[in-house]
Amino acid sequence: MTNMTKLAAVAALVLCSATPAFAGHGGSSALINQAVASGSTDAIIAEVEKTESLICEDCMTTVTSLVHDNRYAVREVAAWWIAKRPGLMNTMATQFVGDLANGDANTTRDAADFLGAVRYYNALPALQTAMTRSSLTVEAKLSIVHAVGYMAHVKGNPTLQIAMGDASPQVRAAAVKVYRDVLNQTDMSPVQARLGDTDASVRAEAAAGMGAFAVRSAVPVLIQLVTQDKDSTVRRNAAWALGKIGDGSARAALVTASGDSSPLVRGVAKAAISSLR
Amino acid sequence: MKNTLDKLAFGAAMMAAVGGGVACGGSTSSGPLDNVDALVILQRPKRNDSGDIFQYTSYIAGARIVKLEPPTADGVLTTLCCDKAGAEFANIDISNYDLSFDAKQIVFSGKLSATTNYGLFILTLADGSVTQLPTDPDKDYVAPIFLPDNKIMFTTNEVVEPGAPQHEDEYERGTTTQMGIINTDGTAEQLGPRNLSHRTAPSLASDGRVIFTQWDHLGEENAGHLMFMNTDMSESREAFGKEGTAASNSTLKAVEIAPGRFVGIGTARNRTINAGALLDIRLGYPTTDGNGNVRADTSMSEAHASYHLLSPDVPLDNSPSANTVGRYYDAFALDQKDYPQLLVSWADGPVESSALAAAGTSADFGIYLYDSKSQERHPILDDHTMWDIYARPLQPRTAPSTTSSQSDGTLSGETLFGAMNVYTSTLHTFAPGSIYGVRLMEGFSSEEGFPRDFGTTEFEGHANLGVAPVQSDGSWLAKAPANVPIHMQTVDVYGMSLFNEPVWVSGRANESRVCGGCHEDRAVSTIINPGITVAQSVGPIEAYGNTPRAMRQSNDFSQAKIMGIPWDKALQPVFDAKCISCHNGDANLMAGGKLANPTYTISDPTTGANVTWTFDLRGQAVTLNVGGTMLETFTASYFTMAGPDMEAIEKGNLMISGDFHVYINPEDARDSLALTELNPPQQFPTQDPTKRAFNTATHAATYGFTDMTPDEYYALILAADMGANFYARENNPHVQ
Repeated sequence: MTNMTKLAAVAALVLCSATPAFAGHGGSSALINQAVASGSTDAIIAEVEKTESLICEDCMTTVTSLVHDNRYAVREVAAWWIAKRPGLMNTMATQFVGDLANGDANTTRDAADFLGAVRYYNALPALQTAMTRSSLTVEAKLSIVHAVGYMAHVKGNPTLQIAMGDASPQVRAAAVKVYRDVLNQTDMSPVQARLGDTDASVRAEAAAGMGAFAVRSAVPVLIQLVTQDKDSTVRRNAAWALGKIGDGSARAALVTASGDSSPLVRGVAKAAISSLR
Repeated sequence: MKNTLDKLAFGAAMMAAVGGGVACGGSTSSGPLDNVDALVILQRPKRNDSGDIFQYTSYIAGARIVKLEPPTADGVLTTLCCDKAGAEFANIDISNYDLSFDAKQIVFSGKLSATTNYGLFILTLADGSVTQLPTDPDKDYVAPIFLPDNKIMFTTNEVVEPGAPQHEDEYERGTTTQMGIINTDGTAEQLGPRNLSHRTAPSLASDGRVIFTQWDHLGEENAGHLMFMNTDMSESREAFGKEGTAASNSTLKAVEIAPGRFVGIGTARNRTINAGALLDIRLGYPTTDGNGNVRADTSMSEAHASYHLLSPDVPLDNSPSANTVGRYYDAFALDQKDYPQLLVSWADGPVESSALAAAGTSADFGIYLYDSKSQERHPILDDHTMWDIYARPLQPRTAPSTTSSQSDGTLSGETLFGAMNVYTSTLHTFAPGSIYGVRLMEGFSSEEGFPRDFGTTEFEGHANLGVAPVQSDGSWLAKAPANVPIHMQTVDVYGMSLFNEPVWVSGRANESRVCGGCHEDRAVSTIINPGITVAQSVGPIEAYGNTPRAMRQSNDFSQAKIMGIPWDKALQPVFDAKCISCHNGDANLMAGGKLANPTYTISDPTTGANVTWTFDLRGQAVTLNVGGTMLETFTASYFTMAGPDMEAIEKGNLMISGDFHVYINPEDARDSLALTELNPPQQFPTQDPTKRAFNTATHAATYGFTDMTPDEYYALILAADMGANFYARENNPHVQ
């Protein structure tokens, strides 16, 4: 609530006077408010999108409040709308960086979602610090991971590596997944280390990362995974990765996997064999 | 099932009335489904989160592929997939499917859980077995169709260019999908050349080409059009919807009725749940045979294309539909008559995401037989908990031949662009000798780390790849990067655009994309003199065809090396050195007997709030603010030259008074005030300051300042012709 008050104050600061919203071409703050009142995510998104370029003072107040909605899709469209107004965006981003250090779990979640959606690169150090906070929920940590992933900047790697060691397998898997899509990513060793994770979803993501980057040094572990892992998604991803890497030493394992009990694995393994050198 | 499924027995009877009977109960009369033993139908749990036409990530567990046999309202419904495929499929959602040519297999795109991506699977109907194809587990693969020669085409957000991010759609904030192909055994995945925005809904035509919907977004152009490409993903070219021929903003889900004739959905880009009006699209001149079958493959070209509205009451935009009118999700023609019988998926009510969501409901698509002449729908299947979509006869069909173009290994992975005679154009009349060359520019969107907008003009990111000289016979050639969207302009000797190709084009590695002209008449053969074109004998220019993406930028802003126009780096130093002694925001400063810095005011007539802006070429960051509404933040010089976001001004009902001008026009340096006032020098074939573009005194001579260099002029020209952006790769905040 404190944060809501603060954001309302931001909006008030930039408003000279309270005025009716402009009708624009089909969008208005009244329609956004109606959509909010309906409780419908899709209605809110549709109405906010309609005011993409509308100069509408009341819209600012309404949309600003949506960055703290409980639904990610609503927060995301609000951030998109605000990013179209860089002056407002910069003001809010500065506040959200502060929230990363001190906000409660939901406030931190919202801050991370906003900063990621608007690609506020100055927030990367604060996101890294926030990732170490013990008081955050899994949801908030996932927002930090996704924010860093959305920026896809190598300066976010330390944050993702911290997340890969988180107690939550959801957070670890998410971090492994977004790490591979960081622009100019070169070092996949943090992901390779997660091939031995205790959680199958993390191992599966790590295996996919090895294939995406054709990490040859991962072949021995992938050979083990493709035939021995108890999770069929891990076996499938390991088979796919081995096919992408193309190392002939995986042939026997892939032949075995082509008879796997899971339909997820068999076809992928058979195709991978043809990719071996 | 009984509680939710309407098996409307009267449907069969109604169908009998429509077409003389259906294959039900041993009827001997002929009907549109007479030769159809069963239908395959996709059932997806109802949803509202797929409003825009390119949405592909929506996930709700519980989809299934079913068979309705016989294809009547009282037919037996059998689940084909994936209830027997194993525990991994318990929570699957399925977005699209296609039936193999022999009707023995189905390829479908499925997502097994909320945290996984859509992958491709093949269902063998004989035993119900399912096999997954080896696609990247972290990327989405959707919209698969069978191709001849044991291949499958799909769309995917996986990217063809190693290490490059996939293009992002500015509006839906989604990662775009592009074309790809893979063998049915899962080998030999290939990814196709990229459009700057989405490609979706591929469908195979009887001539062997694939028709699909492409989102064209380049400046003012912002619509979904039908395109063709070969089965090897080469030779993508327009099919329907451009040049004002479309019925609606977007045309999608085209399925062939007869050669040259397609049924498709006409709708708006967003909020229509992928649904709209039924269109009978005819790409060439229609001809009718003795059986009343109509085809339209004579002289197929966009110029000859036409359409018939088969559902005239359905809105073509995204306004809510009226009750009993509804919208159509997809259609499949059962005959080739002038007004065909169609299998359609239709939902009643508004079928507009906002209206539906606000009411707490979802579109209820069911399968109907639609008589397009009488415009009557006859129900076949409607499970009220599901979207019943993509009904197709479960029967073999003829596979067309593959279509491909020759791969030229001498191109070393580049794409050859060119024309035989650039003066041949249906879009523009060029004065003889007016064209110096053709400029090629690479396009990109925010995926490389940019903010949502590259500036106030809503243009995409551009990088200049160079100008290919037009030869004496009008021909030109250039080798440019494969797989990336390319924007082309004809330019004069001053380097200014004469005309824009209003869409992005791209080609595969080693593909030659040499046209007859500059958007020549597609139905007329281009005649050239015997032998080869002059451009062929001279050879193509190198337009960074083998330069990696990260290297396709330059901080050398000379005419020969300049690529992007980072406003603060390429132009601000010029303004600082040569312009701001006068153009410094001082509203009272006089120069040459008149005000050096004109002033205008943007005002809000409702509140009386206003902001005054004075011409200012300095580089300080400014925020334009009307009554507290921050319009945007860029530098003063950028605001001055590019102007505010005019769409925002218009939509905000704001008024502008005073001496208001936009000084550089996107894609139009030649008519930009800054250039007409400055009077730029000749750039090509050599820079020559003694030759000027306009018959007026130069600004430098008139006001007595040091003239800009030809390189500096060219940077300003490129700034305009490449969209008047503030950001380029060279000042991408991501790499600062």
